Amino acid sequence: MSGEEYQKSVLDRVSDLFIELLAKLIDRVRPGWYERNRSKVSEWKLMAYALNRSPPGVIGLILVLAFIFVGIFGPIIAPFSYRYFAIYDAPGSDLAQPGTVVVTKDNRTLYFPLGTDHFGRDLLSLLLQGARTSLVISIITIALGVPFGIILGLVAGYYGGKVDELIMRITDIFLAFPALILAIAFAAVLPERIHEVLQSNAWLRDFFLWLFALDQKDAGILSRPLAVILALIIVWWPGYARIVRGSTLSARENLYVEAARAVGLSNRTIMFKHILPNIIGPVLVYITLDFGGIVLMEAGLSFLGLGAVPPIADWGRIVYDGSQYFPRAWWLIFIPGLVVILSALGWNLLGDALRDILDPKTRRSIEFKLKKRRREE
Amino acid sequence: MKPILEIKDLHVHFYTYAGVVKAIAGVSFTVYEGETFALVGETGCGKSVTSRAITRLIESPGRIVKGSVIYHTKDGRKIDLLKLPEAELRAIRGKEIAYIFQDPTAALDPLYTSGYQVAEAMVVHRTVRSWKDGIKRAIEILRSVLIPDPEKRVKAYPHELSGGMKQRVVIGTSLSNRPRVLIADEPTTALDVTIQAQILKLIESLKRRHNATVMLITHNMGVVAEIADRVAVMYAGKIVEIGNVFQIFKNPQHPYTKGLLKAVPNPLIKVEKLESIPGTVPNLINPPPGCRFHPRCPFVMDVCRVEEPPMVEVEPGHQVACWLYTKR
Amino acid sequence: MTQQPIIKVQNLKKYFPVKGIFFTKGYVKAVDDVSFEIMRGETFGLVGESGCGKTTVARTILRLIKATSGRVFFEGKDVFKLKGDELLWFRRKAQIMFQDPYSSLNPRMTVFEIIMEPVRFHKIEVGDPEDFVVGLLETVGMNRDHLYRFPHEFSGGQRQRIALARILAMKPEFIVLDEPTSALDVSVHAQILNMLRDLQRERGFTYLFISHDLAVVKYMSHRIAVMYLGKIVEIAPSDKLFEEPLHPYTQALLAALPIPDPEYTRKKPKIEIRGEPPSPINPPPGCRFHPRCPHAMKICKEKEPPLTQVEPGRFVACWLYTGRKG
Repeated sequence: MSGEEYQKSVLDRVSDLFIELLAKLIDRVRPGWYERNRSKVSEWKLMAYALNRSPPGVIGLILVLAFIFVGIFGPIIAPFSYRYFAIYDAPGSDLAQPGTVVVTKDNRTLYFPLGTDHFGRDLLSLLLQGARTSLVISIITIALGVPFGIILGLVAGYYGGKVDELIMRITDIFLAFPALILAIAFAAVLPERIHEVLQSNAWLRDFFLWLFALDQKDAGILSRPLAVILALIIVWWPGYARIVRGSTLSARENLYVEAARAVGLSNRTIMFKHILPNIIGPVLVYITLDFGGIVLMEAGLSFLGLGAVPPIADWGRIVYDGSQYFPRAWWLIFIPGLVVILSALGWNLLGDALRDILDPKTRRSIEFKLKKRRREE
Repeated sequence: MKPILEIKDLHVHFYTYAGVVKAIAGVSFTVYEGETFALVGETGCGKSVTSRAITRLIESPGRIVKGSVIYHTKDGRKIDLLKLPEAELRAIRGKEIAYIFQDPTAALDPLYTSGYQVAEAMVVHRTVRSWKDGIKRAIEILRSVLIPDPEKRVKAYPHELSGGMKQRVVIGTSLSNRPRVLIADEPTTALDVTIQAQILKLIESLKRRHNATVMLITHNMGVVAEIADRVAVMYAGKIVEIGNVFQIFKNPQHPYTKGLLKAVPNPLIKVEKLESIPGTVPNLINPPPGCRFHPRCPFVMDVCRVEEPPMVEVEPGHQVACWLYTKR
Repeated sequence: MTQQPIIKVQNLKKYFPVKGIFFTKGYVKAVDDVSFEIMRGETFGLVGESGCGKTTVARTILRLIKATSGRVFFEGKDVFKLKGDELLWFRRKAQIMFQDPYSSLNPRMTVFEIIMEPVRFHKIEVGDPEDFVVGLLETVGMNRDHLYRFPHEFSGGQRQRIALARILAMKPEFIVLDEPTSALDVSVHAQILNMLRDLQRERGFTYLFISHDLAVVKYMSHRIAVMYLGKIVEIAPSDKLFEEPLHPYTQALLAALPIPDPEYTRKKPKIEIRGEPPSPINPPPGCRFHPRCPHAMKICKEKEPPLTQVEPGRFVACWLYTGRKG
């Protein structure tokens, strides 16, 4: 099962290099780690080879990496600030066609590669800025909603009986509501309360402004995207509680769980050290798929007018605003729409590939495909 | 003795993620009409694969690479099952050569009654005219495999039957077309000893009644001693020794056969210490060169490490593949 | 072997409720009023067919599942009442080796972590952990190269050795061996069984050996108890049980045992045991074996035979030997 048996592609060499680098880095922090975890590292390499053999997975990974990269650096590399309204400097620059060059009153030339919106804001810059909004919202939703769901699912599945009943019936109540409607309701009600909290906590406000890469002037409308996050968390955790409970129910039947109990380990150790690591695979797949789902739903909520409002840049909101000028300003709908689709698609493709890679059975078959057809004798 | 199945130089490879597993590497043996032939060996030695390869029941990633399986039909023709078109093979498989697999729970479809499943094989092979006749025959068959109250049990679903009962239904299904060869792959491994004894007895008496040939695949030396006439011992994809049951048990020649027999406690004899075979079964992706048993063999010689031992006859009907018995 | 019990089981019962849609429909009497003692340093074999309750007995003794009633004493202490430090002491001194080595080791942990986890948890003083684990691995016939590998890289026999090393790390006194070789290959069987016997001789372990394979039980055990449908039907010294089985069920089991000797098996009289074990949900009244017993009498259908001593060290629960007194 050593690496030499594989016919390595360029991609494989790149992933090898990357994994080696990562392993060395960890080794630097915790000396001796590499020596002790050789098996783990070669397993990672195998997973990378499997991913490299799945074209949709590679495309997904590229899209996802692009999404994350733009989410982080977009506001910095954007040619214009999302608050730069060209219409004040150059009348008539609103709803400019992609590729338009405009000359301002003070003789500066402005180039809008993807055109402008009805305030004369550069669409490219808005999209770059909007990526940050989308990324922050999806990451916070996952980071808060998923652990909550996982813990509840673990507890319910591990203890069973009445605890299980209680937790799962509460989960059912949340699942019984259509997610979108629940999110709409929360997104409509929450901003007021959040606004009050932000008013009294300046550091919290500044933290979120920094996170969304927003100007101080937009502090007043910050509560809108935050309300979306809360709404999304509320509708997202029950799914995880349910998945994790199911996997826990089967994982706890493994003898190593009983072995752990036989040596007296605490329930908490058993849950987090012996059960969770063995069921985390499917959860990771769901997280990846859900990133796509959240990007879509967040755009949907903003499109319905429940999320961020201008001037905060948000993909869904750009489409909504652009729809007022359809079909004249087609680029305001098609380009952001395409961006949303590509981001969601990226996560979904990656999630599907991950599902195959993390499932040992399908991984074997992928790995098999990449084998050199060696001479048989 | 008339041969009924001649397996010649069979090779089966499995193309897995880790490499090509040479599961069967040149297996040859003959099964004679009316005998009970046992293929013994440990997990992964290829005994099951061999039995499935006989009617090409090898699924991807496995492939029969080489060899032939000559089947002697009732009217004296010889046909190579490995070269037969799939449709013709299907007419033989299940009808003239039937299987019993280890796990009766997996062999029965939980959605159909036991009567339906017994009748199905006959309907498919057109040995009965209609489903109604099939069910009627099924009752007879269930009675013949000693299922009490067969009129009631034909309507029972698999989950309503115990493990032993299920295996009886499976045997009934296999025997419904009166096969000439019955291949039983670990038929009693999933069952308790008392039930095992009943099933073995059942197979024996049915064999006698239908004048069938039984090929028994098992790892249990006790079961072999109990019902086999001739025995082939397999190790790592090769046959190391063939002989009749007395030759194998009383006068084993191959070091592996000897080790295997000494590793099984005989409850009738006071054993001070069981002898174990050191090491583990080799991986068949890169099997050891020469004799595949040499890394674990106490009598290993230089030649064993480089050259494969040929099958030689040490007494009439008793063959062994070991350099200890071959003059070079 | 000193004649001093390390484990005393008294009237142990374990009933599993069978749930209907609304109510409990009945109980599976997996273990029904079982009592026995295990002496220090001996191997006590528990045999029976699947579903007879032998594994449930082991798990109840180790408090892995809660007993319905009855008591278990370990070194004189009531196991079901242990708390805190005393419970931890029990968890350390009494260990179990499972049947399926493919499921008993956490696939996400290296061998080193698997062995060290309980050691750290119990704060056992071991000096250098790496040397300690290597020492244990060498005891079970493995070596330093295996230290940081994952379970899936090993064969069944090797995994069972790792499981054994984990047990040895706790320095136990009593070990339950729950069919430790039934998932392994024949040629590997003997390696593990011999290692267990050698360890017992060196370290004075007490074993409760559970198996459905009479031949293996005989090889391993000093005394054997035969279970049928949740009850012990016979207890006897290993050799005696095979020389002269008393209970009709034991006789049937021995008769059904395939013997690896073709000359013998072709001569031996075929005693056949008819029928199959009835469901443990509604076991037959009286002696549970009576519907399959060739010697069944009227009393067997009415009254349960008690486990009585018929000669020193031999107990049997059968009306044939109890003088039909009741």
